[in-house]
Amino acid sequence: MKKIEAIIKPFKLDDVKEALNEIGIQGMTISEVKGYGRQKGHKEIYRGAEYVVDFVPKIKLEILVKKEQAEEVVNTICKASNTGKIGDGKIFVLPVDDVIRVRTGERGADAL
Amino acid sequence: MASVKVNIMTLTALKYKKIENQIDKDSTELVFKRKELIEQFVNRKESNSIDVLRNTIYIQELDFIEPYTRIIDEYFQNVFAKSKIAKEMTLKGNPVAIVALGGYGRAEQCVHSDVDILILFEKRLPENTETLVKEIIYPLWDAKLETGYAVRTIKECLAMAWEEFDILTTMLDARFICGGSHIYSILMEKFRTKLTNRYTHTSLNRLIEQSQKRYIDYGDSTYLLEPNLKSGHGGLRDYHNIVWYARIVSDIKCRRDLEHYGFLSHDEFKTLENSLNFIWTIRNMLHYIAGRKCDQLHFEHQVELAKIFGYKDKNGHKAVEIFMGKLHSKMDFIKQINLMLTEDIQLSKRARIFTSIKRATNYKGIVIRERRLEFDSIEMIPHNLDLLLKIFFESGRLKKPLSIEARRVVGEFAYLIDDKFRKEPSNVEVFEEILSHSLWEFNVLNVMLTTGLLAKFIPEFSLIINKIQYNQYHLFPVDKHSIRCVQVINSFRESNTKNSNFDKLSSGLSQNLNNNFDESNHPNHLYAEICKELRNKKTLLMAALLHDIGKGDPAEEHSERGSEIARKIVMRSGYSQADIDEVVFLIKNHLFLIKIATRRDISDEETAVFCASKIEKIALLKKLYILTVADSMATGPKAWSGWTEALLRDLFMKVMGVIKDRELATKKAAKTIQRKKEEVLELSRSIALKGNSYSNDSTKLLIDEAKLLIDEANLLKELDSMSRRYLLYVSASEIVSHLNLYKQLQNRDFLWKITSEDNDNSEIRTITICGNDKPGFYSKLAGVFFLNGLNIVGSQAYSFGSNTALDIFKVMPPKDKIFENEKWQKAEREFQQALNDDSFLERLIDKLPKTITPKSGHIPMPNEVRIDNETSSFFTVIEVFAYDFPGLLFAITNVLYKLGLDVRVAVVATKIDQVVDVFYVRAIDNGKIDDIKRQEEIKIAILNALPLITN
Repeated sequence: MKKIEAIIKPFKLDDVKEALNEIGIQGMTISEVKGYGRQKGHKEIYRGAEYVVDFVPKIKLEILVKKEQAEEVVNTICKASNTGKIGDGKIFVLPVDDVIRVRTGERGADAL
Repeated sequence: MASVKVNIMTLTALKYKKIENQIDKDSTELVFKRKELIEQFVNRKESNSIDVLRNTIYIQELDFIEPYTRIIDEYFQNVFAKSKIAKEMTLKGNPVAIVALGGYGRAEQCVHSDVDILILFEKRLPENTETLVKEIIYPLWDAKLETGYAVRTIKECLAMAWEEFDILTTMLDARFICGGSHIYSILMEKFRTKLTNRYTHTSLNRLIEQSQKRYIDYGDSTYLLEPNLKSGHGGLRDYHNIVWYARIVSDIKCRRDLEHYGFLSHDEFKTLENSLNFIWTIRNMLHYIAGRKCDQLHFEHQVELAKIFGYKDKNGHKAVEIFMGKLHSKMDFIKQINLMLTEDIQLSKRARIFTSIKRATNYKGIVIRERRLEFDSIEMIPHNLDLLLKIFFESGRLKKPLSIEARRVVGEFAYLIDDKFRKEPSNVEVFEEILSHSLWEFNVLNVMLTTGLLAKFIPEFSLIINKIQYNQYHLFPVDKHSIRCVQVINSFRESNTKNSNFDKLSSGLSQNLNNNFDESNHPNHLYAEICKELRNKKTLLMAALLHDIGKGDPAEEHSERGSEIARKIVMRSGYSQADIDEVVFLIKNHLFLIKIATRRDISDEETAVFCASKIEKIALLKKLYILTVADSMATGPKAWSGWTEALLRDLFMKVMGVIKDRELATKKAAKTIQRKKEEVLELSRSIALKGNSYSNDSTKLLIDEAKLLIDEANLLKELDSMSRRYLLYVSASEIVSHLNLYKQLQNRDFLWKITSEDNDNSEIRTITICGNDKPGFYSKLAGVFFLNGLNIVGSQAYSFGSNTALDIFKVMPPKDKIFENEKWQKAEREFQQALNDDSFLERLIDKLPKTITPKSGHIPMPNEVRIDNETSSFFTVIEVFAYDFPGLLFAITNVLYKLGLDVRVAVVATKIDQVVDVFYVRAIDNGKIDDIKRQEEIKIAILNALPLITN
């Protein structure tokens, strides 16, 4: 099993969600996060006072899938969240040792 | 020593065995009766629950808590009567009294409430108390009743009461059950004497401190999604506070005495009784279904309880929403009563000496008495209805609360308010003042709401009173949320001066989110700045109060519906057309900015231009922004976080930049662009038809026509995706030819087209280049023209879609025109080479002049580079002032390219002999260049690339 973590632009969330839905991804966890990479923050000036955005708002998606499915999910997210500009985000793929469904105690792929 | 102890233990164990059987019987009976009572309670609730909960009639007999208390009392009385040890104690002259404390003492025992017992002796504790405890307390534990007990002498009780406030309050609730009643009487008498003589003030202080601490711990539970029925603000503890207060100052015996002793009016007491019954019923049922003592009303239980009590979906409102709305209104009442009495307490501490001295206010008929606002005489009111509004204005202005009596009077006369009153300009004006005086620490609008006057003055407001939205997002009923929204805006205005409460609120919000991003500049400062600049705030405050008024009608989209309802309200209030339009616009679009900020690419200039052309005016944008922020803050922590704030602020700044720029977003610009789109369609249609006119085949014509329609639809899509800047400045015919070029481009790196001006005498050639946008595209073009001795007189750079560059150069043709075409072909080849090979143009740098001598007669101006980040929200604008020479454009753009800057717009112009070249650039990371150091680097690099000026 793999955990796929994707950092995307907030306005791309709906597109990504829809695209993942189409390939049969049922569930995901999202969170509002802030950070910076190559797309550094910037500042705005209002009446001489500076307002710095040092961390850029992003959305983080977390999806657990079977190993075989990981590549497809990564490609789908990549395609759906691409704007061609900097700040489009990053995708991480991590190995997952085990998954447990709390209600039933099911383990492994059954619990996905 | 140890062995003696063991002996005692075994001895007591033996004694305990002997009486075990009898006690067992009593506790079994208790368990049985309790079970029976609970079943009766549960079943009855299911059969005619609606009657019980919806009942507004004063219910004297409480359903469960009193009978349950009696059952426990009976148990103690029975056990005590059988207890040999108790008798032994009495015989030995040290009798015991069993006293109920806490909730049990108040006879308000809920299904899983603790049973608190005091085992009281007069002077000393006898040795065999432990046996007594085993006799009467252990069976309760066996029966699974949470039981707490304390064994104390009178002296201990009194000493501890003044030390521990919790013990003091349980003593206030003490109730005699059985045993030596005189011991209880002695305790109570001493307790009261000391309390009245020495401890009244300290106790009252502690009472206030305690409840303030509780509010911090539990938050304002009245409107929490999962309210705590006991400890939250508006929960039962608030009612306990009222009782304790009354008991500290006047020894009331029972709840009813709150009215008899004048703490509450008859109506207030009736409503309190009713609210308490409602909450107790829910609490008992909650204990029952949770199977334990549980006072927090969690989501899953809310739905279940609404069902149990027979609530049904109605008019599009969910059953659970109606149920929770009802609960909130009951809790709110308790909260209000508690607040008023707290005010009473503070008053009685501070201002005793001022009693009954009347002071006048700005309005005749309204006076201050005991630091409360009151009507001077009630007879005046029917002839001076405006006093009903004015008392709230005075309350807000002077930050003095209305007396309980005044609140009652307002409520009773509110029915007299009619349309004529609502239309009266002076009343509208007073209401606007009230709006701007509603603050966090002094919420005059809320008082106006609870007295019922607000809904009389704006009848439409009653649609949203206590309207709950059952989701994780909306913390407050719509009416409270609307009022909070007004308060937030007012607090922005105050936040510069002293409003610490608000800062607490906002920092509390971010704490809730664990948002530890340390933004160095407090954003509230920005809101305060903006609010300070706003002239006509009444439209903003009105819009804030009414922005969700459309939510009363769940069938329709609430901003649309709300704006229509609000239009009627402000029209009735005699607002000018401009103000009406503004309120309507603000309400209709109160979700616009937040939607755009979270769902569109705000780093795209087009997004900002789109917003700007919708909003148009800076003042309106500021109001909409403040309304959006206040709305989100007033909704709750899920709706407002540093995350949303950053997005929204970014969008605001960018839209403001565009509006200030005033060229891309004006009405005129919008019209021009629309016209141009139509022209382009027209043109391409006529071109297509011309191509078809030779065909006679009718089927082919039909197919072509269909194709044409598809083409047009595609064309429109393409036009919509183009930047406004481009659509605004380029003519329709040029756009059509550019589009053709773009279509032909396919997989090629670039494609160019050379045209001469229509006027044959003109020397100038226009070269339009469409190509795959790569860094350096623009500078390489400039380089190739320089290489071929073609003098550039002007240039414009645009982009098509995300990856295609469209550059337009105006150049002087080669002086020798004989082989002009061949020269262009050579340039074209060289440009391809330059694109493929970055070093191809390197040798050109040496060909640039090292020095330049301006024409005589002028004092030479030094070269200058200015960097401006304020003109545009999206680009850093670099202005270069220099003397013109062949290759100037290449010299500058080559530097920009090497520095990793992307030239998006370039405007080249000549001024006498000095040129001003303006470049709109973005860093490779698509942003502006904020870093001062980096800006210096750019300046120096450009200056170094320019020739020295000599005389």
